[in-house]
Amino acid sequence: MSILSLADVSLSLKGNAGIVDILHSITLDVHEGETLALVGPSGSGKSSLLMVMGGLERATGGHVSVLGHDLTPMSEDDLARFRRAHMGVVFQSFHLIPTMTALENVAVPLELAGAKDAFDRAEAELEAVGLSHRIGHFPAQMSGGEQQRVALARAAAPRPQILLADEPTGNLDGTNGAAITDLLFGLQERHGATLILVTHSRTLAAKCSRVVQLRDGRIDEAQVLEAAQ
Amino acid sequence: MTLAWTFAKRELRTGLSGFGIFLACLALGVAAIAAVGSVRASIEAGLAREGAALLGGDAEIEFTYRFATEEERVWMETRADAVSEIVDFRSLAVAEVDGVTERGLTQVKAVDSAYPLIGEVVLDPPLPLPEALQGPGAVMERVLADRMGLVVGDTFRLGTQDFTLTAMLVTEPDSSAGGFGLGPRTIVLRDDLAESSLLEPGTLFSSKYRLELPEGAGLAELEAEAEARFAESGLRWTDARNGAPGISEFVERLGAFLILVGLSGLAVGGVGVSSAVRAYLATKTSVIATLRTLGASRSTIFQTYFLQIGILTLVGLALGLALGAVLPLVFAPIIEARLPVPASFGIYPAPLLEAAIYGLLAALVFTLWPLARAEEIRPAALFRDALSSGRLLPSGRYLLATIFLVAALVGTAAFFSETVFLTLWTSGGILGALIVLALSSIVIRFLAKRLATAKAARGRTALRLALGAIGGPREEAASVVLSLGLGLSVLAAVGQIDGNLRGAITGELPDVAPSYFFVDIQNDQLPGFMDRLESDPEVSRIDSAPMLRGIITRINGQPAAEVAGDHWVLQGDRGVTYSVDVPDNTRVTDGTWWDADYTGPPQISFAAEEAMEMGLSLGDELTINILGRDITGEITSFREVDFSTAGIGFILSMNPAALAGAPHTHIATVYASEEAEAPILRDLASQFPNITAIRVRDAIDRVSELLGGLAAATSYGASATLLTGFLVLIGAAAAGQRARTYEAAILKTLGASRISILRSFAWRSAILGLGAGLVALLAGALGGWAVATFIFETEYTLIWRNALAIIGAGIITTLAAGLAFSLGPLAATPAQVLRNRE
Repeated sequence: MSILSLADVSLSLKGNAGIVDILHSITLDVHEGETLALVGPSGSGKSSLLMVMGGLERATGGHVSVLGHDLTPMSEDDLARFRRAHMGVVFQSFHLIPTMTALENVAVPLELAGAKDAFDRAEAELEAVGLSHRIGHFPAQMSGGEQQRVALARAAAPRPQILLADEPTGNLDGTNGAAITDLLFGLQERHGATLILVTHSRTLAAKCSRVVQLRDGRIDEAQVLEAAQ
Repeated sequence: MTLAWTFAKRELRTGLSGFGIFLACLALGVAAIAAVGSVRASIEAGLAREGAALLGGDAEIEFTYRFATEEERVWMETRADAVSEIVDFRSLAVAEVDGVTERGLTQVKAVDSAYPLIGEVVLDPPLPLPEALQGPGAVMERVLADRMGLVVGDTFRLGTQDFTLTAMLVTEPDSSAGGFGLGPRTIVLRDDLAESSLLEPGTLFSSKYRLELPEGAGLAELEAEAEARFAESGLRWTDARNGAPGISEFVERLGAFLILVGLSGLAVGGVGVSSAVRAYLATKTSVIATLRTLGASRSTIFQTYFLQIGILTLVGLALGLALGAVLPLVFAPIIEARLPVPASFGIYPAPLLEAAIYGLLAALVFTLWPLARAEEIRPAALFRDALSSGRLLPSGRYLLATIFLVAALVGTAAFFSETVFLTLWTSGGILGALIVLALSSIVIRFLAKRLATAKAARGRTALRLALGAIGGPREEAASVVLSLGLGLSVLAAVGQIDGNLRGAITGELPDVAPSYFFVDIQNDQLPGFMDRLESDPEVSRIDSAPMLRGIITRINGQPAAEVAGDHWVLQGDRGVTYSVDVPDNTRVTDGTWWDADYTGPPQISFAAEEAMEMGLSLGDELTINILGRDITGEITSFREVDFSTAGIGFILSMNPAALAGAPHTHIATVYASEEAEAPILRDLASQFPNITAIRVRDAIDRVSELLGGLAAATSYGASATLLTGFLVLIGAAAAGQRARTYEAAILKTLGASRISILRSFAWRSAILGLGAGLVALLAGALGGWAVATFIFETEYTLIWRNALAIIGAGIITTLAAGLAFSLGPLAATPAQVLRNRE
């Protein structure tokens, strides 16, 4: 069953040099529970595609449908509420709020959803990523690997049906990257979420059930690989 | 230095963008001081130019309660081409209007045919003054005529003399020389007062002789000659070199005070300048670290950025000076129309130089610390977070330099204002407020950080985000609290001082003060006067005392000013009384009161507090000139005199025999219910037309009005400070916009709606504004309390209306600046923002 579908999606952005076409006529279905890797060279549009899927960027053409809801006509606030209810996002640069402790960062999406037990759940989530000893620390007081684990906990805390990860190991060394990969797939498996990630790492892509290759803003059909598993 | 200059020039090639707030803060602070100084210089130039016209002659000789003697008159006439005599006193104008008797206190100027020697009296309808005063005729200010319901052609009475109102007085050339008067002006001919019974011996009047001198007459020489020839006669000399000394001094003092208030604006601007330099250097961290990696010394780094900031400072100063010089010229017509004195608007170098020195010193004080931090940036900053490695205080030499610069700033202010006491108080206030605000910003950040992580804040995401942002590592909280707080502190202090003074005058005073002061009660009128009042059940108390006026000329044989300086008791004449016994409302604190039948050498009882201020002791000899005659007496006791209730209180009291024979009148205070005031005035004014009644409530209103004007002038000065504070706020909000955009993007990604993000930003601004407002109120109230307690010696109460307005202004101002810079972050799409940070 398709949980996310893109129909003829295109994206053009206005830059200093004029309008730049980023994505061209992308049509793609993502199935519930699958793990999908978006790969491709730099500038191929994979991160933009992930943003469009998460409603963080508005497609300039076509339709984006998530869980049966068309994101195209939604307002900014509707999109925010929709993400809050159904999606978790992890970034390469973690994007933690610098003025908040690890616990507070994880609690934010739960608080926004009005959860009464936001902090208990946030604490449990941090424990699940092995950071129970760091709950009172601010981002600047933590290593990159630890910050990304907090970001993972934050994304997973509201139990989203879809997890979006933009190069989650891109800023980490091999050991930390492997640990984050394990945690990411562990969370996905435990909660039965659909995972869509952008990566340059072949190892990480190989862990996914499906890999989609992008080139110049288009899906490279010839390179769409079915995972070995 | 050459290398630093080369680097500085290269860095400045990108232009001055990003330094808008730096330049605006400095320029506005300098402009405010330059503008106030220029207006003051313009007024002083106007007063100097119009000195003779303001005085009504080239020179003036004034006597208190007497006319010039024959000898004095001859001296004047032999030296002047023309002499004009005028008499100035207070009286009641009385008129029957529609069967009702109307009375109005008026300041009468009785003139001769030579008046005015210089200038012109403007009347409505436009008549020549001699024609208007024929009849006997009189002219009066419209405000009094309207109050009494008089129109041209009506008759009114001064004392026992009837006058026809022939015209309204529009302007009199010498109005500025008169000083503070309780009643509007009426002009009559002196000769017409001969039968009025208003100028009897002992009545309170002053006679002024205006001299028109031959061209080239030396004013200084004539003054010296008059004072030597008629030493200790009570003669007071004024001349065209300073035609309106009272106003001149007032303008000088008010201008000095407003410039000191302007310094607080410069301090607020300094906070903005400091923030701008910090922000600029933060963007240059990698450049500085690279230069250090390549071998640049600490001093090269310091000089490079010192030169850049120096050039910007000069640009800011030039802008401020241009603005400060031009603004008074642009608004000259409006200012001139509102000024009661002439002004000669132009560009005056002295106030511009003064403002430039202040601006330069303030810029150095506020940029030195951030610049000192620049040289501490190490090459390792390229690999680590540079901000977290900065020390709180710079090295010792910069601390010493800062202390020296602050001392130079205060010293310069004291030099220019010529009032060391006021400068030290104001500078201390500004420095104290800055320290309190800086400490408060640390406390606010600490509390916010603690509250953000407190359990109580859980679930209140918007509030918690706001608290987290305030307690976070950025410097927005310090900038906002310092800049807005200082502006609001000045306004709060002005409001609290004004409110308390007015409260003391209009609140409590009418309850304890008498209803009326009656002056010029002749000896033979006193029994009838007392009979009328003592038989009135509505009158609760009557105090009366004999009253003479005298000038203290010598203390222990030496000129009084040489012993006691310029103490206010020596400024002009003072009331002198005598009594057999110690009056009920005073208490002897030291020494002994004379016996009832004492007839020996004159003895004096002096007010204790003033005696202490003047350095007088028991046994000291005072020479007092009363009606041209010197009386020397010994101080044999000190008394406690309470002037706060507006009752009868004399600095000087003597034994009765000492003043025997001196013509004098009596003064009386009457305490009665408000309803009884009108009948008392009606009866006494009818029975004793020469007696002048001063309604205390009217006098209180007049003083209150004057205080209101002073408070308004100070508030305008303080508003410039607040405007600078608002600029700094805008700077802080603009500097924080990038961070807010980032936060908004993360929050949107996590599912926050725009309204909840906006709410968080609003909380942040409101909390900071509330904090700044509360601290400002504390600082302002402290200032108000200190001034009320130590200077005006009145009780202090917090003026709640002003307090709430200050807190409200703090919240609204920060909200306005904060929210204006929140719209951009709210509109940005998260994908772009977050990707740009990757």
